Amino acid sequence: MKAHRIFLLAILCLALTVSAIGIQAQDVDLMDPATFGLQEGKPYDGTTLEFLICCNTAQQFAVLDKWTAEEFTAMTGITVNWGDVPFGSLQETLYLEASNPNTEYDIVAWVDAWGTNIKDFLYPLNDFVAEAGIDMSDYSPAYVTASMMGSTDTIYGLPFRGHPQILYYRSDVLAELGVEPPKTWQDVSAIGAAMAAAGMEIKPISMYYGLNVDQNLFNWYSHLWGAGTDLFDENWEPIFNNEAGLAATIQYLSYLRDGYTDQQSVTLNEGDAWQEVLDGRAAMYVGWWWRYSSMLGSAVPEVAANAGIAPAPGWEGGSTASYGYLWPVGVFAQSDNVEASLEFLRWMTHPITELRAVSNELGDPAYDNNVAVRLSILQDENYNARFNNLGNVAADILSNARTIPLIPEYTEIIPILAETINELAVDPNADIQAVLDRAAEDVRDIMDSAGYYDG
Amino acid sequence: MRKSKWIVWVLLAPGLLIVALTTTYPLLTALYFSLHNYKLTKPVDWAIQVGGDSFVNFNFSALSLDNYIQAFTDDRFINSVVVTLEFTLVSVGLSVILGLGIALLLQKEGFWHRVTKSILILPFAISPALKGYSWRFMLNENFGIFDKVIDLFISAPLNALINVWNALPFGDIPLISMNLVWLGDGFWALFMLALSETWGWAPLIALMFIGALGSIDPHIFESARIDGANNWQIFTHVTLPILRPVILIIVMLKTIFSLKMFDQVVTMTGGGPIRATQTINFYVHQVGFVRGLDIGYASALSYILVVVLTVVAAGYVLFLLKPDYNGS
Repeated sequence: MKAHRIFLLAILCLALTVSAIGIQAQDVDLMDPATFGLQEGKPYDGTTLEFLICCNTAQQFAVLDKWTAEEFTAMTGITVNWGDVPFGSLQETLYLEASNPNTEYDIVAWVDAWGTNIKDFLYPLNDFVAEAGIDMSDYSPAYVTASMMGSTDTIYGLPFRGHPQILYYRSDVLAELGVEPPKTWQDVSAIGAAMAAAGMEIKPISMYYGLNVDQNLFNWYSHLWGAGTDLFDENWEPIFNNEAGLAATIQYLSYLRDGYTDQQSVTLNEGDAWQEVLDGRAAMYVGWWWRYSSMLGSAVPEVAANAGIAPAPGWEGGSTASYGYLWPVGVFAQSDNVEASLEFLRWMTHPITELRAVSNELGDPAYDNNVAVRLSILQDENYNARFNNLGNVAADILSNARTIPLIPEYTEIIPILAETINELAVDPNADIQAVLDRAAEDVRDIMDSAGYYDG
Repeated sequence: MRKSKWIVWVLLAPGLLIVALTTTYPLLTALYFSLHNYKLTKPVDWAIQVGGDSFVNFNFSALSLDNYIQAFTDDRFINSVVVTLEFTLVSVGLSVILGLGIALLLQKEGFWHRVTKSILILPFAISPALKGYSWRFMLNENFGIFDKVIDLFISAPLNALINVWNALPFGDIPLISMNLVWLGDGFWALFMLALSETWGWAPLIALMFIGALGSIDPHIFESARIDGANNWQIFTHVTLPILRPVILIIVMLKTIFSLKMFDQVVTMTGGGPIRATQTINFYVHQVGFVRGLDIGYASALSYILVVVLTVVAAGYVLFLLKPDYNGS
């Protein structure tokens, strides 16, 4: 009975905390440094920070950039220049600047897969996280793992921009068939078969097996993890070609081979495949959650009026685990302005700032952002009311999400895997087991050269 | 005399300095990198810190040919060499043949000929990256113009004939549908990549040929006609031999540019399907800045390309400096 009461009390406290964040965003003084735990007296007044980041038209970045100039600088005297490096050249800029002892950049945001190659050049944030009282348990475990880049004791970045994988579906199409949104990939196939039998012209699912920027791996990971296998075992031996890996890959390719996705999917990347949904040529799609608003705004009325979302499918009789994709943000160790940079992180990643960034308080589509990373914010009532329960769906997905291998060698391994998937997709007669075995051999060579099997 | 020599060197100095800084220094540094195991993610053994600055402290004791040896056993690099050569062959061939064809059509004078000639430069003026994106859209199976045009002018008339045949009691023939996934097939992806390059270059080459054709004395053609030559004979026995020097220059220039193909690969095919359109430059970029961050190996691969380009460029220069070159 006592334990029961403590549990209820804990739930109450959690609910109050969550609602308090919502209240704070409305009522607190946003121009008071104390609100964010910033240092009083502008000790870094006149400091200019350079932020290595891309894409300032992304709503999340746009709104934070705007508030940086209008609010953070006014409170602290610190000027932050948000970079706008094109995404296509962000990776090489990141590597070049990280290894440059004289880099002009102080703060940096990166894609999880790239992080392991720059972690030696990042300022460890453990002390900062403890001192600022940042609750890392308020983030998905996948995000925390990516922020620590595989380390068990060092935090290299804070979760900043994260994407769970969501199933988008056309509710009118599924209603016409009289089926529920698929919970497993096998359900996707069953719906595909039912749509084919019903003679529907629209393709059941839009897949992306193309080679552009390696996005053909995202859903393959979900298949592998769902089928109970992985890319590596605990000794870093490749196992994606084992029995479960073969079954996962066969299922992953089946939508193409069974005609449930467009033949052109062998050349499509994630964005191209999404266009198939927006244009009304496909009924389902599994991809990042930030695309939801574009489905609601599709120029095709049936698409906009029947936009459905659900967690990404899992594996029949297996598990549901998809890739939680993260952009952490951190500070270059070689920066001359580490303390001022930490002040900026404190403000930018603060729950109040994060919640405001998804509230569209500016009422401008250019700043209408749905990307949040804290579970407490994803489960915020107002947030879910505004985005048709998207946050709760995202939080649900993120509770089981996983991340990719966080080792430096993985950037060398990615093209091997991406080409393997592409090869299997473009060649309908390929021997899947043989191609996977060959890829595993190539991957093993890289790991062997890197010394993973020494001793 | 001595003073004038001194002035020559003073006047040349700024240019030489710029060349040294922008070309010679990067080339020598890349050569040095290519002889080392240098990855962006690992500390280098030749950088020295003075105050807050880092300087290159060359360490010649660690020189090694390993990167060059690795290149000749790297099947991805060998694949990129083959792809580049195939791409060069097709894009140079098509650009020159189509460019010459366009020039022959437009060499006459007249208002519309002048308008067309001035428009010709536009495809070349479009950035290669944008060209890649445009072609990617044009080749889309669902809304690309290629399939639509083929459907309209080939599939539709053939299907009309097939429908007539199928109405007869001789058995049915399936209707033709144009649904080729151009960029999903290795052959077509490379061919379309070459065609996109041709689309940009052929008009420019045509302008070069128009200039060359305009400089040929018309009396030569008149004489040939008086001797009884027909148009084809005039073209093959008179025009082509006269244009030979220009053709050679164009072929060499276009070959150099084709060997360096990069932008359209990134935006049009991403190197795929599988590795079918991975050119040398694309692979070098992958090795150096996307995958292994292996600057040493990427520099070695670049140097191999530099050697090939130098051979072609040397041929070009030697040809231009030949005493019997008439400059036409």
